[in-house]
Amino acid sequence: MDMNRRALLLTSAALAANVVAPEAAFAQEQPRRGGIMTVHFPTEQRILNPSLQASTGVYIVGGKIQEPLVDLDAAGNPAPCLAESWEATPDGKTITFKLRQGVTWHDGRPFTSADVQFTAMEMWKKILNYGTTLQLFLDAVDTPDAHTAVFRYSRPMPLNLLLRAIPDLGYISAKHVYEGTDIRQNPANTAPMGTGPFRFVQYERGQFIIADRNPNYWRNNLPYLDRVVWRVVTDRSAAAAQMESGQLLFSPFSALSIADFTRLGRDPRFEVTTRGNEGNARTNTLEFNFRNPVLADIRVRRAIAHALDIPFFIENFLGPFAKVGTGPIPTTSPDFYPANMPQYPFNRAQANRLLDEAGHRRGAGGVRFNLRLNPAPWGEDIALWSTFIQQSLNEVGIRVEIVRLDAAGFLRTVYNDWNFDLATGWHQYRNDPAVSTTVWYRSGQPRGAPWTNQWGWTDEETDRVIDAAATELDSARRKALYADFVRRANTELPLWMPIEQIFVSVINRRLRNHSNTPRWASSSWHDLWLAS
Amino acid sequence: MAALKRFALAYLRNPAAGFGLLLLIAIIVMALTADWFFPRDPLSLAGRPLQWPGANPRFPFGTDNSGRDIAAQIFHGARVSLLIGLVATSIAVVIGIVIGALAGYYGGVVDDVLMRLTEAFQTLPNFLLLLVLVSIFGSELTTVVVAIGVVSWPATARLTRAEFLTLRNREFVQACRGLGMGDGRIIFREILPNALPPVIVYASVVMAVAILLESALAFLRLSDPNVASWGNLIGLGRDVLRVQWYVSAIPGIAILLTVLAVSLVGQGLNDALNPRLKGR
Amino acid sequence: MRVLSLAARRLAASLPTLLIILAGMFLLLQLAPGDTVDALIAQMGGGGDAAMAEELRRFYGLDLSIPAQLGNYLWRLIRFDLGFSAIYGKPVATVIFERLPATLALMTAALSFAFFVGLVLGVIAAKRVNGWPDTVISTLGLIFYATPSFWFGLMAIVFFSVHLQWLPAGGFEDVAAGLTGFARIRDIAAHLVLPTLTLGLIFLAIYLRIMRASMLEVLTLDFVRTARAKGLDETRVMLRHVLRNAMLPMVTLIGLQAGTMLGGSVVVESVFSLPGLGRLAYEAVVQRDLNTLLGIVFISALLVIFVNFLVDLLYARLDPRIGTGGAP
Repeated sequence: MDMNRRALLLTSAALAANVVAPEAAFAQEQPRRGGIMTVHFPTEQRILNPSLQASTGVYIVGGKIQEPLVDLDAAGNPAPCLAESWEATPDGKTITFKLRQGVTWHDGRPFTSADVQFTAMEMWKKILNYGTTLQLFLDAVDTPDAHTAVFRYSRPMPLNLLLRAIPDLGYISAKHVYEGTDIRQNPANTAPMGTGPFRFVQYERGQFIIADRNPNYWRNNLPYLDRVVWRVVTDRSAAAAQMESGQLLFSPFSALSIADFTRLGRDPRFEVTTRGNEGNARTNTLEFNFRNPVLADIRVRRAIAHALDIPFFIENFLGPFAKVGTGPIPTTSPDFYPANMPQYPFNRAQANRLLDEAGHRRGAGGVRFNLRLNPAPWGEDIALWSTFIQQSLNEVGIRVEIVRLDAAGFLRTVYNDWNFDLATGWHQYRNDPAVSTTVWYRSGQPRGAPWTNQWGWTDEETDRVIDAAATELDSARRKALYADFVRRANTELPLWMPIEQIFVSVINRRLRNHSNTPRWASSSWHDLWLAS
Repeated sequence: MAALKRFALAYLRNPAAGFGLLLLIAIIVMALTADWFFPRDPLSLAGRPLQWPGANPRFPFGTDNSGRDIAAQIFHGARVSLLIGLVATSIAVVIGIVIGALAGYYGGVVDDVLMRLTEAFQTLPNFLLLLVLVSIFGSELTTVVVAIGVVSWPATARLTRAEFLTLRNREFVQACRGLGMGDGRIIFREILPNALPPVIVYASVVMAVAILLESALAFLRLSDPNVASWGNLIGLGRDVLRVQWYVSAIPGIAILLTVLAVSLVGQGLNDALNPRLKGR
Repeated sequence: MRVLSLAARRLAASLPTLLIILAGMFLLLQLAPGDTVDALIAQMGGGGDAAMAEELRRFYGLDLSIPAQLGNYLWRLIRFDLGFSAIYGKPVATVIFERLPATLALMTAALSFAFFVGLVLGVIAAKRVNGWPDTVISTLGLIFYATPSFWFGLMAIVFFSVHLQWLPAGGFEDVAAGLTGFARIRDIAAHLVLPTLTLGLIFLAIYLRIMRASMLEVLTLDFVRTARAKGLDETRVMLRHVLRNAMLPMVTLIGLQAGTMLGGSVVVESVFSLPGLGRLAYEAVVQRDLNTLLGIVFISALLVIFVNFLVDLLYARLDPRIGTGGAP
């Protein structure tokens, strides 16, 4: 506590020194040193270490303190970070990373291949969500010297898949902090220690997190900022007010209300953009429970898809940051996006006809049958979307009752108890369909695993294509296999993904060098600076 | 009959109470005529979302962020709010009266046990208990109403108990006992009618709080989304508060007026029943 | 000494109440859909497998039977151990004590504000009963009472923080500024103005009403008439006799409403993003963090019992007819 207060005093003195001559610097757009970046932090996190938990809520903090092997450059291609180069053997079973030299942890110890080995085997493979699946066939990491890590797989691992996945799933933790401890209970989980441009100082629950400039950062003379402060603000309107009063400079990951995006977007003080989040695309889902015989009928599922006027919904409710989706692979992923897949445009007459054909005639009050809809409790768009589904299906004679549950209740009810008819939430696309997309369709998922195929739907053809694509080393053949997968998914419609969105950032215009990579909000901010 | 007339006159002599009654009647009329003025489902898509009041003659109060007619939701919402108020209050008052009456009449161990229970409920912040109940049992309207009733009874129980404590030793109760009347009959037929007036007056407070509790739940997005309640509309309007403030302002005023009406009527009843303060 | 033994007796008498609350809450929460592991997985955003979930359940002690869990909990409680918080990864006691200052500051400020302003307005209204000040004050009181507090809070933010820029829009203090000493206290006070008003207004309305009513009631009582007849001047009658007696119901009310206020702070803390117990409780419910929730319930129950104890002491001082031993 005392240490922190002294640190606080020191930096505010440094700040005062910096305020003296900022105007000249601004005129030439020379990066200005110093300043405090304040970031909106909407939900309390149990873990801040990104080698243990892969989620935006962790990256927004931990991504400034710890670093991955590989990051993305402005064009979205893999860029060296803690690893300087990489190569794969032709059989795809061995991938070698050459590590950066002269990098030290925040406590002064050197970063070596032993850290990579430990993190990969003990964290990515055993604990990290998505990591456990990605590294399922990782047998060992060899360390021939302190700056070489050799990943050995028992099945071919497409190099491109690994490189697309590890900017998110490849954060390194210090072996000497975690070795011999209970990793889940290690205090460093909420007081992370890394190699990144900012050093963790303090996490005051429910209030703020502070990290200060790392003076020994391996990118010389960086970062520009003195300090990053994350403020916990759970209420969306309160956060918008703090953006306007200047208490917050950046609100990441669509954490404000849609109305405020529009409003602040017109305000010259702010930039409201999806830039810097291209690597974080998501689709809105409509999930069908096949255990309900009504929904097991393909005609009913297609009728429901035809009953939804997606362009109308997007134009009137979601605004410019959403677009019509065409299936599980979003347009932001040109390496895999397949064109001309089966679609279900809005056609109420067609929907009515299909429902009639399926034998569901309108009864009393024009009602054909009743369904329960479980919307996920995160995101304003999901609430609006579920109301829109309710309103639209009512028009074709399907009465929908919305079942409102909190996060734990929603996951348990839908993915474990299977006690729903329709469900809706987000599918997060993580740059390669193998990371988090195909699990929504592959059969044989363990009961209770959320965001996986819990619909009671099994399709051998789909399973075969998914498995083949996961270990295919040839890029063109992989793309073709995923096109087959999408065609099948959109034909059988076990779930429907008709809306595509990218996270929205709200940024104070004093920020410079922001949004310059497809995962900027998650990235380390080593080159970010603040104009006065 | 004459007593009732005297009471009515005493009540109406108070202008605030008269105003409250008028307001309450107006809200009841709104609730009754909702289907007549707005025959469509108030939750259905009526038009483009977020049209300002008056911008489109079809929507005198505008549309909300889900494209629903706010006027229709205000009218239909009057039903929901009154229903929530009345049912939750009845539940709270019945529980309160039963527990208070038993505790006050029997005293001793029964009183001790029941009062411990009441204390437990009073010690626990009632909104916290409400949150827990709703997250556990879901946010269906029935659940919400019952939950509000279940957290609101302790004050009524204490009030009833106090009345019973003073009444149980009165002559007429002794006389009833002498006649060999059963306890149940004495409690509910003889003492209760005498203990009831302050409880009824207090019910207006319970009702006002019940309506406010539902709106607070809706603000935290924990109320039933399948009914057109004013609270839901405020909760929804929270996202567009800064520009389209009317979405939460209009139902906010509706809640304010309803709670005001209920409170004024309650106060009027209290003053009319309490002739000592008459004319002051 | 007498006060201490009274406190001890009071606490002993409250033990059954505490037990009912804790056991009841514990059993109630077993009925909730989903547990803290589900909430954790929701936070991860997917990719958790079944083996991981099972290991986490073992880690949080959720694989035991319900009676065993309850037994463990109570046994720990006897040793003053509130357990380990799942959301925060620290002992519950630490988590709660970190949050206590904000809630205590907010509650004390709101209560004092409501009490004193309510008292003054109530006296003014009662003195000029049915005159225009009375009408204005009573009407305002009713309107405050009928206004949903979160709505008032949001409107206050829009007006005072965004348009006028007088007060901060939320939070407990400005950490980025790195203030210390008196400046820090001032900063915290500025952050608490709007939340205090928001939470205080509802209670202000109640106190005002009660004060007015009890003033009117007391003014008609015999001893006041006697005092006046004795020729005591009006101010002295007001202060010595009327006010003192009229305050009794106000004081009682504080005791009754300590719990309500804690509940109200859930909403107010969420509007103003204050790091208090109310928001912690909400978070604990949503995250199914049983230990933290029970800890908060326990501490807030203790708090309410303590406030009621203070009220009893005050009551004894204010009302000479009641001795310290025999509060009703």
